[in-house]
Amino acid sequence: MKSLLFFPLVLALGWSTLALAEDTVPPAAATPKDKPVPELQTGSVVRVNSTNQQYDFFRPWNKKAPFNRRGIGAVIDGNEVVVAAELVANSNFIELEKPESGERTSAQVVAIDHETNLALLRPNEERFLQTLQPLGTDATVKVGDQLSVIQLEANGTPVSTQALVTSAEVGRYVLEDCSYLLFKMSCPLQYRENSFTLPIVKDHRLAAILLRYDPRSQTVEAISGPVIQHFLREAKNPAYRGFPRMGVQFSSMRDPVLRRYVKLPDAAGGVFIDVVERNSPAAKAGILPGDILLAIDGKAIDPDGNYIHPIFGKLSITHLTTTELYSGETTNVTVFRNGEQKDIPVELFRQPAESYVVDPYVIDRAPRYLVLGGLVFQELSRQYLREWGTNWAKEAPQRFVYYDRFQSELFPEPRKIVFLSQVIPTPDTVGYEQLNYLIVNRVNGREIRNLDDLSQAVRSPQEGFQKIEFNEDPRVIYLDAGQAESTAKQLQALYALPALQRL
Amino acid sequence: MRASFLRYLCGLLLKILSVSSCGNWVPWAPKPFYTWSLLRKVPPLQMIRCAVFFALVIAVSAFAETSKPDIHKSLVRITTTSQDPDYRVPWNPGNITVGIGAGFVIDGNRILTNAHVVSNGRLIVIEKENDPKEYIGKVEFIGSDCDLAVVKVQDSSFYKGTSPVHFGGLPAVQSIVDVFGYPIGGTRLSVTHGIVSRVDFQNYTYSGVDQHLAVQIDAAINPGNSGGPVLQDGKVVGVAFQGYTGDVAQNTGYMIPTPVIQRFLKDISTGRYDRYVDLSIQYFKLLNAAERQALGLPDDNNGVVVSSVEKDGSCAGKLQEGDVMLSIDNHPIASDGNVRLDGDNLDLAEVVERKFKGDKVKIGILRNRQPLTVEVDLEPNNSYLLQANLHEANPRFVLFGGLVFQPLSRNFMEAYQPDELRVRYYYDFYITDELYEEHPEVVVLSNILADPVNAYLSEFRFQIVDEINGQKIKHLSDVAHAFATSADQYVIKFLGSSRPAVLEKRAVEAAEQRIKRNYNVSIEQNLGNERL
Repeated sequence: MKSLLFFPLVLALGWSTLALAEDTVPPAAATPKDKPVPELQTGSVVRVNSTNQQYDFFRPWNKKAPFNRRGIGAVIDGNEVVVAAELVANSNFIELEKPESGERTSAQVVAIDHETNLALLRPNEERFLQTLQPLGTDATVKVGDQLSVIQLEANGTPVSTQALVTSAEVGRYVLEDCSYLLFKMSCPLQYRENSFTLPIVKDHRLAAILLRYDPRSQTVEAISGPVIQHFLREAKNPAYRGFPRMGVQFSSMRDPVLRRYVKLPDAAGGVFIDVVERNSPAAKAGILPGDILLAIDGKAIDPDGNYIHPIFGKLSITHLTTTELYSGETTNVTVFRNGEQKDIPVELFRQPAESYVVDPYVIDRAPRYLVLGGLVFQELSRQYLREWGTNWAKEAPQRFVYYDRFQSELFPEPRKIVFLSQVIPTPDTVGYEQLNYLIVNRVNGREIRNLDDLSQAVRSPQEGFQKIEFNEDPRVIYLDAGQAESTAKQLQALYALPALQRL
Repeated sequence: MRASFLRYLCGLLLKILSVSSCGNWVPWAPKPFYTWSLLRKVPPLQMIRCAVFFALVIAVSAFAETSKPDIHKSLVRITTTSQDPDYRVPWNPGNITVGIGAGFVIDGNRILTNAHVVSNGRLIVIEKENDPKEYIGKVEFIGSDCDLAVVKVQDSSFYKGTSPVHFGGLPAVQSIVDVFGYPIGGTRLSVTHGIVSRVDFQNYTYSGVDQHLAVQIDAAINPGNSGGPVLQDGKVVGVAFQGYTGDVAQNTGYMIPTPVIQRFLKDISTGRYDRYVDLSIQYFKLLNAAERQALGLPDDNNGVVVSSVEKDGSCAGKLQEGDVMLSIDNHPIASDGNVRLDGDNLDLAEVVERKFKGDKVKIGILRNRQPLTVEVDLEPNNSYLLQANLHEANPRFVLFGGLVFQPLSRNFMEAYQPDELRVRYYYDFYITDELYEEHPEVVVLSNILADPVNAYLSEFRFQIVDEINGQKIKHLSDVAHAFATSADQYVIKFLGSSRPAVLEKRAVEAAEQRIKRNYNVSIEQNLGNERL
């Protein structure tokens, strides 16, 4: 997959990644392609300044140091501004600034989607955007089109750089397992300050938003127009439902031996469904592992999992199921099972991050925790694992990485994984100081499926003791319940913990 | 008369003394007249005391010299030509390498050395000091879990002029030792000198998963010292076997002490090496006051609590999770897991370390606050071997349709270093999560020898085999059996995925010779000796 090859290169050389604390962009070589665009003189963009602060998942009572992100937002109809979600993820304070006058106002997030990396902002001062010309949105861009990437000079003059669309494929956005239609463009972008997230326009319509830029190959990767359109339309719903996710993992059916094995006629396309994720739209509709996926919404799927899109040609079927179709819609899925074709209606929806056993991300949400006598209990999430850095898949505790990756297979029932993350040394925890990364099975005899269970269970100590049972050695430990409670305030004061729990 | 006779005796003793201290009797030397004349001036009582003193001195030194073994008569140089297999190309016999180590003669016309000196040996050459002849040695016993080996020389003339060493006990910390061997830096015998720095349990790197008593010394131990004796007062107190390189730690070498050596020699006296035995349990130190109270224990720093009992281990059915172990063979167990043995605080495992297969051990426990004594029949542990370095055996594998199947093992992981999360999880948590129950052998599709017959199967690399044609795979031999059973197609299912790898019999047969020829495959499978 081209984008997979590209991504590590960009991480090393490029701009915007979630790991960057500030936008530090190395200067590119000077090029003569910039020119001011006439229709932008009246202004369709604003500076967006966000002060963000992430929670520290290792010390969940703390937030890490705040940092600034400055980018450029596109003004759209309805008194709103569109930016990349990364700009305002975990934000404390957002400001909009008019480029020429420097006028400022604070703003709120109206809708945010971390999976497609898009956010919608509204200024707190209602009339703030009235002097600006809102952009429409464009979903007609195809390979070969020329687009303009908009930046702002220090004095506020908008500047555009030409970008040639070289490919339109489903590729990885920011988070793992989040791939949507991605535009790649050849674009000699010059370094200008505050260029984290840039609008990309075609004929005064927003066609894409910059995701990342590689100065060495001068390639822009961008969130595509169809994705932006879907987001804006979905954001009109009072309860934002997100982009649907069918919940199947499939592999190629090119192998003629495999085709003969499942008795699939050679002419037919199709992909082999390996895994059907727990509680997904596919699972609820009765699609089974082993089914051969032939078509969705009447569109045939080739052995590599592509369909034919009127504009983009051969495109991964996931574009159809995540972006062309919407949450709440029911689509017809044609499968081949036991030698015959079947039509299965599937109602599409997205499972919110919080509904997973191991949340794929925890953004704009505080991590839950509970401290008992010095023992720190948390719920496992991929956000916690990311604290081990970009190489977390190899460096975080491997059992946790395994449980996260295969959670659908290993945990059929809805629950969270509660674990002892660390021990804060106190007189109550003598002998336990080395314990960490232990999954809690029971407390005081009660099965623990989430932190609320734990909180309930510690209210009923057994014979004056808190009995905590783990999945591995030491299997059982005890705390003196009365002592832990009476020393709680001292523990909090000694280690300056703002609170002993957040549930 | 008596007085003068005594004086004469003293004079004689003095003469003898002066002669013996020179070490040579020179009969034609002139009589030391001066000695005689000196004696005339010494009072009688003084003379008697002198005489007794000198007599004792002579007696002791004479005795000491006759019983001090000459290490040079025991030390041997061992040159081993070996073939270490390549787990990535399991049908290859392996690279031929030559290594040098040391060893020494022990009772019974045997040579003791390290297992790693003679590991995978195809030709073992033994040389003695001052003897130009090269003798051929053969490994009689090898202990992989304690890095010791016994080698015998067929040619009985080898043993002429050699003498077996005498073994000493566990040396005291700070006492002096000398290491004899053939390390790098020259070809002749080398001696290095140091003291005992530490006595502790250490990881024996030969297997990588065994811990036994090891004595740390600061005498230089370098490549080539392996298998060589460490002497104190003329007795062998250890076998030099491993150490840290200078850039990690300095003057940190280790020797296998005599308790480990003696246990090995006793074990092989039955004609077979039965390996160390193990309780096969995990326990947790009872240092926390609340935990002690909850378990009904007094505040007396005694006892550890059993946290897990391995299902196929020695203590299965005897001990259970939650039992508090208070004593082992009547030795009280402290809350940090130590017992007092031979005047020293050692981990309770040391009690079992000294036992043999079939021996029993008595454990005093508290179960649900009731005292109980449990007798355990000790057996070696098998499941941990998955994570041990395997030697002395060629890699086991099955090749079919260009697909290479190998069982998971430490050697496998080191050779391939797979990125696959599931394989790494199965390796790391094999014992902890009791994965050995469902998968006594974890069979992995380790490699695909690209050929049209397997053109679309590359994504299955490093997947764990679950079933072949509906048969569950629990051992490598199940794979061989499934492919030996005739069928039109072979449907191979892997853990975690529904999509199988399918091979059609006709295509496999057509491809067999082509693959063997292209990839220079000599044998298509090696099932070896299966682990229990």
